[in-house]
Amino acid sequence: MAGAKKYYAAAVLAVWLIIIAFFMVLSRTLDLEVFFVLALIGLLVVAVLIDGAFSRPRYMRYIGYLIAAGVALFAYIVVQKILEILAA
Amino acid sequence: MQIEREAWAVLLILLLAAAVAYAHVTTTTEEYSRYNTGWNGTSALPAEEVRDLRNLDTAATLLILAPDRPFTAEEVGYLRTFLDAGGRVVIADEQGAANSLLADLGSTMRVRPGNLSSLERDRADPGIFAARVVGNTSLFAGVGTVLVNRPAAVTGGEPLLETAALTWEDADGDGRISGDEVFGTAVTCAAEGNLTVLGDESLFINAMLAENPQFIENIQPVQVDRIHSGTGTANPIVNTRLWIQETPPAAAAVAALAILPVAWHFGRKRDD
Amino acid sequence: MNARASHTILAAAAVLVLVLIGVQAVDPVLYAAKNISTAAHADPATIQKRSPGDAASLVPLMDDLLGQTGTLALTIKLKDYESAERDLARYSELSRRFDRLVVTLDVSGTDIGEFQQNNRQNQDALTALLNDTRQFDALQRLEIEVRGDDEQHMTVVYEGEALRQKMRESFSAYAKREAATVRIAEHYDINATPYQESVDHFAEVADAANGWQEEINGNGTGPAQSPLVIAVTPVEGSYGDVLLIGGAHAGGRPGTPIDIYVDSRMAATAALDDGRAYVHPYQVGRILAGPHLAYATAGTIYSNVAAFEVLPQNTSITLALAEVNGTTVACTGNLTTDDARPVTQAPVLIRVDGDTLVAAETDGNGTYRKDIPLPAGEHALRAEFHAAGYPLNASESPTEIATLRGEGLSPFPFAAAIAAAAGTGWYLRRRRPEENTPAAEPEATPPPEAARPAPQVSIAGLPPREAATVLFCALRARLNLPKTKTPRDCARIAPAYAVFFERYERIRYAGETPSEEELMDMERIALGGDADRA
Repeated sequence: MAGAKKYYAAAVLAVWLIIIAFFMVLSRTLDLEVFFVLALIGLLVVAVLIDGAFSRPRYMRYIGYLIAAGVALFAYIVVQKILEILAA
Repeated sequence: MQIEREAWAVLLILLLAAAVAYAHVTTTTEEYSRYNTGWNGTSALPAEEVRDLRNLDTAATLLILAPDRPFTAEEVGYLRTFLDAGGRVVIADEQGAANSLLADLGSTMRVRPGNLSSLERDRADPGIFAARVVGNTSLFAGVGTVLVNRPAAVTGGEPLLETAALTWEDADGDGRISGDEVFGTAVTCAAEGNLTVLGDESLFINAMLAENPQFIENIQPVQVDRIHSGTGTANPIVNTRLWIQETPPAAAAVAALAILPVAWHFGRKRDD
Repeated sequence: MNARASHTILAAAAVLVLVLIGVQAVDPVLYAAKNISTAAHADPATIQKRSPGDAASLVPLMDDLLGQTGTLALTIKLKDYESAERDLARYSELSRRFDRLVVTLDVSGTDIGEFQQNNRQNQDALTALLNDTRQFDALQRLEIEVRGDDEQHMTVVYEGEALRQKMRESFSAYAKREAATVRIAEHYDINATPYQESVDHFAEVADAANGWQEEINGNGTGPAQSPLVIAVTPVEGSYGDVLLIGGAHAGGRPGTPIDIYVDSRMAATAALDDGRAYVHPYQVGRILAGPHLAYATAGTIYSNVAAFEVLPQNTSITLALAEVNGTTVACTGNLTTDDARPVTQAPVLIRVDGDTLVAAETDGNGTYRKDIPLPAGEHALRAEFHAAGYPLNASESPTEIATLRGEGLSPFPFAAAIAAAAGTGWYLRRRRPEENTPAAEPEATPPPEAARPAPQVSIAGLPPREAATVLFCALRARLNLPKTKTPRDCARIAPAYAVFFERYERIRYAGETPSEEELMDMERIALGGDADRA
């Protein structure tokens, strides 16, 4: 079946998101920043694992931009938290 | 092979969803309910439930928790028999609903519902503070202070739990002493012989069990009066399940319902 | 068409979800378990713990204060002035601590506030008693020395009379407070015996003064009448009222300065006018409510003691909030008595969120203004006036809520985000061209013969590794490489396809299995012939 790897990657990412949502509900804290950071980690892990060295399928071509955007937002969150700590 | 694997994955997810749905449907969020596993339920309280006040076992303490149903004269008679036989009764009530029962039992103790708050506390909420154990009783053996959670005052009887001097009845609910509120110590638990009245039902909820472990241990073994305590639930599914467990014919009917299709499937003559 | 439809729906749903999340992104903590409570109880795990504070030391401090009055009065009676000074210093320190605690715990509206006022008056009374007793002692010694000199003796007698009257008035005020103080002490289970003993000691000191005065006046017709007379009109007043303190000096010369004392502290100096009378308008300011004493001296001649009463009054304080900028809120308000008189130069406390206290002061019109920097969010502010030392009752304003926006956005996070995006892009760019460098190597060996047209081979239905083998053979044939060449040899001879051959080598000898995409790519290379797969 063509593109099975693509579906597996998407399924794993979705399951990971459900897992972090489950634990956030269990601990009675819903924090968007924490959710985003953990989701970004999941995305990076999945992207590294499905990346073949010898081919770059269509769905992997533009993942670089998505990762760059995610890392930019992550850097924004980190610097904002540092500023908060410094101001306190 | 791949299709089988996907089927397994789907089956697993469906099972998980079914488990979550089951948990959602068989628990409630009602206060003090034994089927409420949240912070304000009593599911973690190790107690057995009694439906009938006749012929109770005097070795276990009878706990009437947050009574919300009136006691008939018959039941008051059973309670008195239980007390005379040496059984210990603990009535935990902060709404004042137990006052009629106390009057029927001939006791002078009464619960005065209100909003006791204290300045001497170590939490941000003025209703959560430590009450001192005075008096000598096995219920509070080995306990110096009991953390109470928005208790009511108990008048009459021999005092067992007393609050600090800087405690007041917060009538306007603003969290500080103002207007014509005055300081004074209050009694939150009193006893007359085997009958103990505790002005704080919240000591038995899941979130508070860890705060007073010695007291919970001292009160064991405990039987909860299911008819009159507020530990029931309005959830129809839980009630149906309880009814099935209690009525043998219904249990037998459900078992038959489960077994018959299986028996029919395997007992059928195959047309091979 | 089905796939396209599902893709567009998916894309639209993703955009919608991102927009909804983006709306919440300003306040990312969507829910936190904090202060969970119902009417009957609160969840202690979600209630913040705080340090117990000093509430437990309030009642023991009251006990200490009452005990201290007993010791102090006793040492004064025994005329042990050094110990009395030490005791008085300790008593003042305890009173100061008690005042601070009462304000911090916000209990001044209760009977503890009443106890505090009584305590202040007791402190003043005992200080005055100590000073008066000391002066009385000195007077007694002086009296013996000047027995022969009639004029000097008379001045000593007048002064003694003034002191006696002071002590007597002071004692009656002290005794009047006993009932209320003992009642409050019993309410909190405090031992009031030392305090009751202090009242007895005070009585004895006043009686001793009485006794001495009668002794030296033994041959007189009663208490000596000083030529210097003082009176206060009206006898009662409240804050802001002007009382006229005046009198006459029978034996004085016009122009003599008369020193007027209120409660043993010098209040003013007036001059005798031609009619040998003097008067001074005294405005009731920062003085405790209750009975007070006034007397005058002209040189060494003491007048009698006049008592006047300062009546307590209620006050009211207002609070208005104004936002100065995102981080500061300006609090203004007025402090006035019930007679609409402004209370000037008075200390005002602004309580922020129930815990923090900020001090402010009213100006000449009774208005105060204070700018308070606060973090962003909602805060509850309340202005309080604790009438320390004023003949006024404490008051507080209603609680006002201030909402602060907080500081604006700072540029650092944005700069960091842009830098991170640039860094990621550079890293990903750097990684990709590595795949192209093996193909750009200069060819060491002479290029092989021109490639023959692609042979027709099909790998459908074959297991992956066998398919790879078929493709390898096809490519090798297409490149006219001898069949004896191993994959590594082929990679060396035809570096343009080196990646293909190296991959096949791993499949063949290292047991790796190619994936679907890799097979498709390899098929394309083997049959199509373009080295550039990007």
